[in-house]
Amino acid sequence: MAAEDSRYRESSQFRQWSFSPAQLASMRDKANTLARTSIADRLSTSPPNNAGTNPMSAPTSSANTPDPDGGTPSLPEFLTPAEEALLVTFYTSELLRAGDHAEMGDEIKATAATFFRRFYVTNSIMTYPPQQMLIVALFFGCKAEGAFPRITDFAHTFGKEDPQDILAGEFLLCQGIRFCFDVKHPFRALRGAMMELRKLGDIDASRIDSAERRARDILRFSPLVTDAYFHYTPSQTMYAALSHADRGLVERLIQETFHYVAPPTNSGPDTPTASSDTSTLAASRRDTNKGDDGNKAAIIGAYIRDKVLGTIEACRDMLAKEMPERREHWSNKTVIKAQIAPLRKKLNKCHDPDRWDLVKLQKVRREQALKKSDSEDGEPGDRVASSEGDASLFGGDLATAQRDAKRRKVGAKGLDDPFGGAL
Amino acid sequence: MAPGTASGAALPLTTDDMCPVCKTIRYLNKDMEFLINPECYHSMCSNCVNRLFNDGPNQCPYAGCNRTLRRKGFRSAFFGDLIVEREVDIRRRVAAVFNQAEDDFETLRDYNNYLQMVEDLTFDLVSGTEGKRHAAEAQLQQWEAEHKADIERNRKAGREADEQARRRLTAEREAARQRRIEAIKEAEDEKLERARSREAELDTLAQAPEGQRVQLKRRGQTSRAGGAAVSAVETAVNTAVATADVGRLSIRGLKEKRKAPMPEGPYDPFGGSDFVPSRYKISEGLAHPQIEKYRFDQQHITGGYSFDGYTARAMFEAFAGLGVFIEDEKEVGIGMSTGQVATIGAGIATVGDRMELD
Repeated sequence: MAAEDSRYRESSQFRQWSFSPAQLASMRDKANTLARTSIADRLSTSPPNNAGTNPMSAPTSSANTPDPDGGTPSLPEFLTPAEEALLVTFYTSELLRAGDHAEMGDEIKATAATFFRRFYVTNSIMTYPPQQMLIVALFFGCKAEGAFPRITDFAHTFGKEDPQDILAGEFLLCQGIRFCFDVKHPFRALRGAMMELRKLGDIDASRIDSAERRARDILRFSPLVTDAYFHYTPSQTMYAALSHADRGLVERLIQETFHYVAPPTNSGPDTPTASSDTSTLAASRRDTNKGDDGNKAAIIGAYIRDKVLGTIEACRDMLAKEMPERREHWSNKTVIKAQIAPLRKKLNKCHDPDRWDLVKLQKVRREQALKKSDSEDGEPGDRVASSEGDASLFGGDLATAQRDAKRRKVGAKGLDDPFGGAL
Repeated sequence: MAPGTASGAALPLTTDDMCPVCKTIRYLNKDMEFLINPECYHSMCSNCVNRLFNDGPNQCPYAGCNRTLRRKGFRSAFFGDLIVEREVDIRRRVAAVFNQAEDDFETLRDYNNYLQMVEDLTFDLVSGTEGKRHAAEAQLQQWEAEHKADIERNRKAGREADEQARRRLTAEREAARQRRIEAIKEAEDEKLERARSREAELDTLAQAPEGQRVQLKRRGQTSRAGGAAVSAVETAVNTAVATADVGRLSIRGLKEKRKAPMPEGPYDPFGGSDFVPSRYKISEGLAHPQIEKYRFDQQHITGGYSFDGYTARAMFEAFAGLGVFIEDEKEVGIGMSTGQVATIGAGIATVGDRMELD
C-alpha cells in the first residue's frame, strides 16, 4: 500500500464524501423522496385559513385548487432528481460567479462550491433555498480556508442588508456537510506536477506554462460543477484536467512514476534517480525494498499504471461535459429563461413552507430550544401570543403547527444529536 | 409398629432385671446374663437355659410358644431390642445369599432392580404375614440352590477386598510413622552440625594469625565446603519442621523466572504509518516560478517560511490518492452507506432538530 494513498484514505473527504456513481445517485434519490413526503405532509395538513390572508402562501395552497377556502389543497408537482441536479449545477456556477465578483481566491471558491454541492446531496433543493445557501456557503468557505471576512462587509458585497440572512443558514450548512470542513483541492497538486515536469528537464518551459494555465482554468470550474469531487481523488482530477490541456505531459508523468518492471532475477529494482534526496530513511527503505518486489509492483507497477490511466480517462470524460467555456452557457439569459426559469417556478410552488425562510426557521428553532429549556408550565397561550407576528406566515397557530410537524416524523428517527446521528 | 405380634408373643427387652421364666432378679444373681434362641427370640437367663435344655431338646418355656429348642442354639443378643436382633439376623442370612456387587450387573437399573427384589424379600421375611414369610423363605432357598457357584465366588472376592483394604491402611500408617521418625532425626542432625560448625569457627578464630581479616558469616549461611550436603539437609528440615529462619536467602515456591519483556522501540507518534513517499522523490531540483518570487520576499523569509514544506506538500498532493479507486472501494460499502447519509440529511430536513444557539 502506497504511503500517500493510505494517508489520503484517512481524510474525511475519502471516508465520508467519496461515493461511487450508483451510491451518489441513490443518495440524491433518497433525499428527494424524503423531501417529497415531508413537504407533501406539510402542504396537505397546513390549515386552510391562511389562503385568503397571505399572498405568499396563496401559491402553495391554490396551485391546483379552484376553491381557496375549500378543503385540503392538492399537491403541487415536485422536482425530479434530474431537475434537482440541473438546478444544483446552475446554482453552483452562480456561486462561482459570485465568488469571482467578490474576488475570492481559487481555493475559497472551490471549497464553497464543494460545500454547496455536498449540502444538496443530503438535503433536497426543495427544502432549503439555494439562493441563500450559496451565499452562506461562500461565507463559510472563506472561514474554512482561513480568510475571515467581516460579516457586515461580506453582506454588503452581496447586496444583503441583514447579516442574519447569512448567519441563519450557517449551522444548517455545517450539519449538511456533516462537519467535514477540510476539502482537498487539486490546485496544489497541479503545482506539484509542474515542479516534477520541470525537474525532468527535457520539456519546453513555455509548454509547461501554458499547460498549467489552461489546466488551472479547467480546475477552477469543471470539477466543481460536476460530481468529480465525489468520484475521483484530487490528484486524479488534476491529471484529468492536465490531460485536457496537454495530454503528452500527463503520459510522460505517469510513465515516469509507474516505471517499475519486476526484474526476472532477484537483483534489486532499478530506480531511475540516484539517491539525491537527503533523507536517510529513504536509503534504509531502499535496502528493505530489495526484497519487496511484490510490494513495489503493487504501488508503481504496470497493472496499477493501466488502472490509473483508465481512471484519469474516465475523469477526463466527466470534466469534458463542463469545460470552462460552459460558464457562458450557465449565465446565458436565453438558456436561463428556457431551462432554469420553469424549474424555478416549479420550485416556488413545491418548496417546503416551513423551511424556506431561513431566518424565520432559525427564530422558531431558537424559541423552541428556549421553551424546552424552560419549565413545562409555559402555557400554550403565551407561546401563541409571543409569536403572533409569525403566525400568519405559517398559517395559523404556530406552536401547534410546529408541534404537529415535529410529531410527523417521516422515516428517519428524531435526531437529538446536533451532529446529526451516528455514522 | 408391632410386627412381632404376628409371629407370636411380644419380645420384651432383655435388659430387664428379671428373668421372665424363673423370675430371678439381678439382686439375687449378680452376673445374670440373658440368652436368646434365634428360633423364637425368647430370652431367658442362662440358669434357666442350663436347667431346661441341658438334657436334650425341650419345649420353649414361654406360654404359647411350642417350639423345640436345643441348648446349642442359644446365644447372647447383640441388640437390646430383640426385634432389631431378629431383623439383623434375617438380613445377615439374606446377605449371605444375595451377595452380588454392582459390577456384576450391566446397567445401574438392573442393579437397582436386584436390590429392590432383595429388599422386598427381606421385608417379607421380617414383617410379612405367615404365608408371605413362607413364600419368601422358599424363594431364598431356591435362589441359594440355583446360584451356589456365584455366591461362593462373590464371597471369596469380598474377603479378598477386605484383606487388601486392611493391608493398605496398615501400610499408610507405617509410612507416616517412618516419616515422623526421619524428620526428627534430621532435626537432631542439623542441630549437631550447627554446633560443630560453630566450634570449628571458634577454633579458626582462635588459631588465626594476627591481623588477618576474618570474614564473619551471616547467620544461616554455611561454609562452602559442607554447603552442599548441609543445604540438602536444611531443605529437608525446613519442609518437615517449620522454623522461622530470617537469614534464609532462598525462597521456596518461586515460579519459573520470567524473561524480561522485549524492550520496545522509542515511542512512535504516528503509529507506524509511513511518511516516505513511494511514487516520487523530494530532490533539490523541484521549483516553480510562481514560488521563486517569494524566496526574496522579506515577509516570507523573515518568519522562516519553509519552501521545502511547500514543495513536499505540493508533491504529496500530486501523487496522493492516485492509486485510490473510489468506485471499487466504495461499492464494497466502506464508510457510511448511501441510505444512511440521505436518511440523515433528509431527517434533518424533515424533523425539527434543535439548532445550537449562537
